[in-house]
This record gives sequence, C-alpha cells and structure tokens, in this order.
Amino acid sequence: MPAYIQGRNVNLTFRPPNRGPVRALYGFDIDVNEGEFLSIVGPSGCGKSTFLNVLLGLIRPDSGDLRMHGKPIAGPGTDRAMVFQEFGLLPWRSVQHNIELGLELKGVPTETRHNVSQHFIEMVGLSGFEGHFPHELSGGMKQRVGLARALATDPDVLLMDEPFAALDAQTRDLMQVELLRIWQEARKTVLFVTHQIDEAIYLSDRVMVMTKRPGHAKKIFPIELPRPRDYEMRVTPEFNDLKLEIWHALKDEITI
Amino acid sequence: MSELQAVDANISTAAPADDLEAPPKSLWRQLEPTVLGVGSIVALLALWEALPYLVTFAPGTKLFFTTPSQIAGTLWTMFATGTIWAPLSVSASGFALGLGLAIVVGLPLGVLIGRSPTLNAMLDPFITAFNATPRLVFLPLVLLWFGLGLWSKVVIVFIGALFPLLINTYEGVRNSDKLLINVVRSFGAKEWDIARLVVVPNAMPYIVAGLRLAIGRAVLGVVVAEFFGSEDGLGVMMVQAAGQYKVAVVFAGLIVFAGLSLVMTGLVQLLEQRLTRWRPQHAAEY
Repeated sequence: MPAYIQGRNVNLTFRPPNRGPVRALYGFDIDVNEGEFLSIVGPSGCGKSTFLNVLLGLIRPDSGDLRMHGKPIAGPGTDRAMVFQEFGLLPWRSVQHNIELGLELKGVPTETRHNVSQHFIEMVGLSGFEGHFPHELSGGMKQRVGLARALATDPDVLLMDEPFAALDAQTRDLMQVELLRIWQEARKTVLFVTHQIDEAIYLSDRVMVMTKRPGHAKKIFPIELPRPRDYEMRVTPEFNDLKLEIWHALKDEITI
Repeated sequence: MSELQAVDANISTAAPADDLEAPPKSLWRQLEPTVLGVGSIVALLALWEALPYLVTFAPGTKLFFTTPSQIAGTLWTMFATGTIWAPLSVSASGFALGLGLAIVVGLPLGVLIGRSPTLNAMLDPFITAFNATPRLVFLPLVLLWFGLGLWSKVVIVFIGALFPLLINTYEGVRNSDKLLINVVRSFGAKEWDIARLVVVPNAMPYIVAGLRLAIGRAVLGVVVAEFFGSEDGLGVMMVQAAGQYKVAVVFAGLIVFAGLSLVMTGLVQLLEQRLTRWRPQHAAEY
C-alpha cells in the first residue's frame, strides 16, 4: 500500500529572469504516514520550503510523481493547509475574519463560519481577541491566528513552514508545547519544516534531514521518545543523543 | 547543598513612583497652534479690509479692488437670493459626472492592467502618451466634438481625473504582497478572489492618494472648461463678472470653488479613515 503522501523523483528548477537556473529539488522522494508528525530539517536554501509549496499546490514541479491519498497533487485543495513563516495574515481583517478566510472561500455560510472560528479561537487561546487587527497582536498571537486559520478548514494535512522562526526563543518554546497539545486534539498529519534540530526532535515522530541544494532526503530518523512529551524531555540523554546524530547528518550539508 | 542554588531576586521593596500620567500641558501650550493659525488669518483679513484707509489708490485702480466685507456681502446675497444655485449646480454636475466616470473606469482598469501583463503591454503606450500630454491640449477637440454644453465639461474633467486614479491604482496593485496572494491562493482563491481579498485592500492607500489628486484635477477641469468653452457654470459667472469689473463676484466664485475642493478633500479624508481603521495608529497620524 502506498504511503499517505508519496513523492517519487520530484524535480523542480527555478529559472529566474536575468540569472542562471537554480535546481531546487532533485530526485526528491518522500513517504508520509497518515496522522504522523514529520519534520524536515536541512541547510538554508535546500528546497524544504519549496517542497511544502509544491505539496500545497502553489508551485508545479517540472517532473516526478507526488500523490496524496493516491491522487496526484494538481493544485491547492482544502485537504491541505499551510501555516506560513511570516504569518501571512491579512492586515485589514480582524482575528476572526482572518481565521474565517478559508471557510469563506469554501462558501461556508456565515453562521457556521462563525461557530467554527469561535471553536478554533478558543483552541488556540485567543478568546477576547476576535476583533483585534493583526498589528495589535504579538508575534506569538499572530501565529496562533495562522494556526487557527489553517485548522479551520479542517484539512487532512497541516503544512508548517518554519512557523516559529519569527518568534523569540521563549515564545517559540511555549508555542511548541501548544502545538503538540493542539496536534493531539486535532489529529492531523503534520509536515513541519524547521532549522532547529531541538524543535524537530521534540515535536516529531520522524525527522528527515535534507541534503544541500538541489535538495533530496539524506537520512530519516525515527524519534521514539514517549508521548505526551514535556519540556524536561529536552535535557534527557536520549534527546541529546538524537540531537547529536542529526547534527552529524546535517553538518556536512551546511556551507557558510 | 550546592553553591549554585538559585536565589530569588529581592532588591527593593519600595513601590516605584507612579509616573504613568503625563505631566499636564498648560492651557496656552494646548491652544497655541489653533490661536496662531486662526490669528494669522484674521490679521490678514483685517489688513486687507483696512487697506483702502491706509493707502491712496491711483485714479481708476479702485475699480480692480474689493474688500473681504464686500466679498462676504456678495456671497451672502448670492446664497440668500438663490442666484448661486444655477451656476453652482451646473459646475457641480460636470464635476461629479466626470469624476464619477473616472472612478468607474479608472479603478477596474488599473486593477486589470496591474494584474495582467498582456493588458499592461497593450495599454501602456497609450497611458504613457496620454499622461505625458497636457490635458488642455484636448480642449479644442473636445469642444468641437461635444459642444459648449455639459458633456464637453464632463469629458475634460474625466480626462483630467482618470490618469491619477488609473496610475495610482496600477502602482498599488503592482505592490501587492506576494505572500498574501499565495495565502489566499492556497485556500483556493481564483483571480477574482485575489483581487477582492488582497489586491484591492492592499492598494487602498494608493487609490485614496490617487483620488485626492483626481479631485484637484477635476476641479481644474471644471474651471478650464468653463473659462474657455461653456455657456453656464461658476467659471462662466466669474469670467463675465471680471468683464464687468465686478471683482467681488469673481472672488465669490473663487471662494465657492475653493470650498468645493475643501469639502471633497474632507470627504476623502473621512473615507480614508474608514477604510484604514486596520492600520497601526501612528501610521494614520501624519
């Protein structure tokens, strides 16, 4: 049986005007199981974010086979939703209306929309901020809105593109805890792109290390730490061993 | 016990001074800008009014002079007897129709050429050429084709107001946030949704700035059309009054035009405040 999300030999080359072509993905293979939390770590510019955009349906690969539920990815669809690194909130919309964006585009009636957004506003802990505009929120709160917006359309797969990279270290730690709680509650398949090995281990069932550009999978690490996980787990020997192993796989790919 | 044991910080128990309240501003500091602004206007008007008593006019030149009180009196009579309404409504309808058409055509066209490279490539030469040409050059042709009535005025106002709106909308659309477009696309937005949800709201500050320019151009269009080729309107009234040395009437027309522009600019400002409530406060307080 094929995996839930299956990519075989996916290739993508960017051809920007006035510059030479850049190979972003080259012979990229991936298998994601249903309900799993998979993190992708790799050096900057290795194509990990590009792959999320391909999976989201915003970029079409040049060649290769990418399927979900056995069906090829042909474009954006409501079975996938992205949490963006720079939040991507519409600044002229309130928290509530940002969260309802996907539902609106799906044609969900106003009342249902309101109930759904209310549910997710509570889930991400933003009760009382429904009418606030993005500029009135802290970075952590903005990303909660981004998360709620992605969850509101009830996608099967949540794509997260370095969602906590723009947050300060302490907020990031808290958001990771929060994300695990929400993931446990909402039970989505998650593809999580990050630079941080800690973050990847702490959150994931498996961590995939990518090569430098043109990117493809180098090594996959199963993370067999028990769940639910807590902050203290980050200082256990098992955690640190994993961290070291992944670092060794990653460091050869990094060029300064 | 380890020497590295953490110790609770306990440095000062005294409550810090409560300095949240800003020190009160003196009454004069609060009123100073208003007093100075109004004061300078009053002083200038008083000087103007007193001028006939201060200097002696050369013989015959008094014909070209008027005072604020005479202008005010003329304005009052015009409104009280209702003689202002006929020319005012002619000018206002030319203004409103021309500007309205420019908005109806300029905004959608600006969005379209901003989003479509094909349309942009097709229309750009015309837009650049038209925009580089002084609008007054078209006046003889417009008068020839549309006559001395309302429609030649509407066309002149339209040509003047269209380009600032069109070009600003285009610029605003070109400056759309790519990330936000990708966000709505990822939720299944089609081109119409992208325009509605991202492109137009994003371009709104540009569009409002364009509208402000367009209002200025539209008023200019009305004045020019009425000075050079109309049978009715405030501009016609001013030209006729000038021919009869009724200086106060000329000034009255000028003040009505200025008032019209001020009211329109005020309306745009209200519109801007309504449309940009989502923006950070400090950005709106310029």
